[in-house]
Amino acid sequence: MHEALAMATLALLGDETPVGCVFVHDGKIIGRGMNATNRTYNGTRHAEFIAINDILSQKDPNGLPLYGPEILADCDLYVTVEPCIMCASLLRQIGIRRVYFGAQNEKFGGTGGVLNVHLGNGKRVLETDYRVDDGKDASKGRCVEGDYEVSGGWLREEAIVMLRRFYVQENERAPEPRSKKERILKLEVEPMIEGDNGC
Amino acid sequence: MDSERSKKGRLIPLKTTLEVEARDRVIDVYIASIPLRQASNALNTVRRLIPNDGGLDLQHLRRFSKPSHVPLHVQATIASVKSPASGTENAESEAGELLLVVGSVESISKETIIESLCSVHTPSAIIITQVPLLAPTSQEQATRFSSQYWPTVYKKSNPFGPHPSLISRAEEELAYEAPKWMALAVAVAQETRAAGTGEEIGVVVLRRHDGIATPVAVAGDMRWLNWPRFKTGNPAAHAVLRAIAMVADGLRRRKEDAQLAAATSATGLFRDEPRGELEQCDSVAGDDGYLCHDLEIYCTHEPCVMCAMAIVHSRFGRAVFGRRMPRTGGLCADGELGHGLFWRKELNWTLFAWQWNNENEDSTAQKGDEDLHA
Ligand SMILES: [Zn+2]
Ligand SMILES: [Zn+2]
Repeated sequence: MHEALAMATLALLGDETPVGCVFVHDGKIIGRGMNATNRTYNGTRHAEFIAINDILSQKDPNGLPLYGPEILADCDLYVTVEPCIMCASLLRQIGIRRVYFGAQNEKFGGTGGVLNVHLGNGKRVLETDYRVDDGKDASKGRCVEGDYEVSGGWLREEAIVMLRRFYVQENERAPEPRSKKERILKLEVEPMIEGDNGC
Repeated sequence: MDSERSKKGRLIPLKTTLEVEARDRVIDVYIASIPLRQASNALNTVRRLIPNDGGLDLQHLRRFSKPSHVPLHVQATIASVKSPASGTENAESEAGELLLVVGSVESISKETIIESLCSVHTPSAIIITQVPLLAPTSQEQATRFSSQYWPTVYKKSNPFGPHPSLISRAEEELAYEAPKWMALAVAVAQETRAAGTGEEIGVVVLRRHDGIATPVAVAGDMRWLNWPRFKTGNPAAHAVLRAIAMVADGLRRRKEDAQLAAATSATGLFRDEPRGELEQCDSVAGDDGYLCHDLEIYCTHEPCVMCAMAIVHSRFGRAVFGRRMPRTGGLCADGELGHGLFWRKELNWTLFAWQWNNENEDSTAQKGDEDLHA
């Protein structure tokens, strides 16, 4: 998670919304990504895409791809902000095992914030099915192909402060800085309301 | 031109999630049969009894209706509660009665109604019936409500989505050329399929200026290009994401030196370079920095959840797709997923979206294709 935060810091330094992530395979980081929407002029270049591209672009000494997409099934993703709906669907389609995130994404979140794409592609009826199921036999038997586990709140305060740092930075840059309140970095973070993000 | 026009079809505006949820919600209300001459007095009494209709908005319901204008089952219920005696007694005044929507059964009791309306005139019948809770969002819906529940008016407004007049204005602009752009999307889809590099899915991105549309990107699906036959292929090579990337790369090429963008190759995750004969990219981005701001996107299939959200992130203004994908699509609110991503109040961007219904083709996913993520 600290490595993901480091990637977010890097994004912040490049004037990008500070979201960073790492993919971990067998305890080793095999891919890193940070939000790159401004640099690429492409609003879909989120950290998750960049990191998967990083994994698949690595070459062995013979110039052949070091990893194929199948490796993702044995990877855990650590990302500073909850994956958005788009990325949650990407992770589902490409097949990830588990996601750990920091701050919840109330605006676009795809793994609990707005939709639950990690469970049955976000189908509403399924959600209740899962809840009923959980109580009875705590098994993950109901998971549909592509479903993955999600756990939120890891280094959440740090991730939120990072986002605030970005908004303050953006406002300072604006030709006419907005109200003073918006330029002051608030460091305390309200406690998290417990939500269920499990599979 | 004639061949274009012969490809008949029509644009069907998508329903929003709220619209779909609200579609068939009904409530029980009291209906009282009141002599015509006492109608306004009775309504005044009701207004005093239940201020603001108890917080409900009943503006879409005809407050008074002639008995002959309500659905037959309501007429039958009224006839059944009228005593035969009062029936003969009032035979001639029968025609002079109106049915009044008093209020929801939660807001008042039958006893109170009788008690208070007695001062005006004892209603010859009081019944309970179901009425639609929310205003209809189309004339068809209003007609259905009227024949099923109670006379209902369509006020050409939609509290659950874009205003109908805005949609129809946009539709007028799109309608004429829609077959042409859909045909181009189909052509690039066939090209990519023939090349074996992707599924038969295609996308056209247009920029409209003074009513004239020009393509800025044409892209096919490339999910199997340099990708193992594993799972569902490369999601980043879906036609929508490729089209968006082409617009971005075109812009970047303009803004920076050409080499940077040209360095993209078909390894790693991204497949952004135009490849086929039909694929093209001629990008001009909006001045506000948002890449696809108010551009139009035409897809052969309803985009998957990922691509639908990518369309929202990129701030497209209008989306049109051919085949509905109930199991995997992210735009429709009335599919199996029900996400309706084109218009959700939580998201910071909304756009107009239509399904292009081609008369000669089946417009929903076909057998074997239902689980395809477009
Ligand atoms: Zn994302
Ligand atoms: Zn897609």
